Amino acid sequence: MTTDEGIVYDRSLLGIEHPVGTFTVTKDMITGFARSTGETDDIYLGTKDSLNEVVAPPTICNIFVNGVSRPDIKLEFGDLSFFAGQSIECKAYVKPGDILKAATKLDNVYAKTGRSGKMVFAVWQTTFTNQNGEIVALVNESFVRRNRSK
Amino acid sequence: MNSEYLYFEDVELGDDIGPITKIVNDEQVLEFVSLRNPDPTPSRFTSEESAKEEGLPGAIVPGAMNIALMSQILTGWSPSVCMKKIDVVFRQMVPHNQPLSLTGIITDKDESGKTTDLECDVVMENSEGVKLVIGHAEFALPKKP
Repeated sequence: MTTDEGIVYDRSLLGIEHPVGTFTVTKDMITGFARSTGETDDIYLGTKDSLNEVVAPPTICNIFVNGVSRPDIKLEFGDLSFFAGQSIECKAYVKPGDILKAATKLDNVYAKTGRSGKMVFAVWQTTFTNQNGEIVALVNESFVRRNRSK
Repeated sequence: MNSEYLYFEDVELGDDIGPITKIVNDEQVLEFVSLRNPDPTPSRFTSEESAKEEGLPGAIVPGAMNIALMSQILTGWSPSVCMKKIDVVFRQMVPHNQPLSLTGIITDKDESGKTTDLECDVVMENSEGVKLVIGHAEFALPKKP
């Protein structure tokens, strides 16, 4: 069962966008991302002698999400937090020279009760928009709060 | 791993993708975390000592890196894959320097003729078959000319 009834947190933050920053994507960044994650496709690694431009692997925006500081939602529940999951919606290719503007918002807060008891999920959505005003990626991150096992 | 140019018509419900096996080593993780911060401080991702101080058995692979690995189940399958969305749940910590098996299975195919969209479940397991990361992906393949 999913509900947000009875969850105490700062509801004024719901849906309010907070700027995260502006990031310039370089070819080195793309090839470094590809190399470190074990990509083998030349289109990401830029190793092929061809006229094809290097493009970024689909999850590249994640490197900008990592470590983003977000407002405290003042959730009054639980004493243990962890990163539960993530989704990335890829809307357009990211290429060297792109300038990405990122903004994040609290998208949803809800509770679920499972075998280990109640858990509260806070979902943040970060939108990346390129220099042409085109949304290139939507990243949803889900953080869980629950009580430690006694 | 298949890397031929696949068309929408080549793929059926229940088709397996992979497996591919990957080992993420310490140097790869350090390069990954250095993309944003060229001089990262030791953390659970880059230092055995820091990880152990946090009660972990050893250094772990960052979540952001795990989703990149999961996406390669599809992008490494065929150059014709156009990834639309990937959604993952982190079930267990992913250790460095251990073999990871990545697989997928086709769970949906749009037969309406309106799109060439497909869906699949994706899984990352350790060598003992324990699911470390699970997820679902949406992608498209081109129609045969």
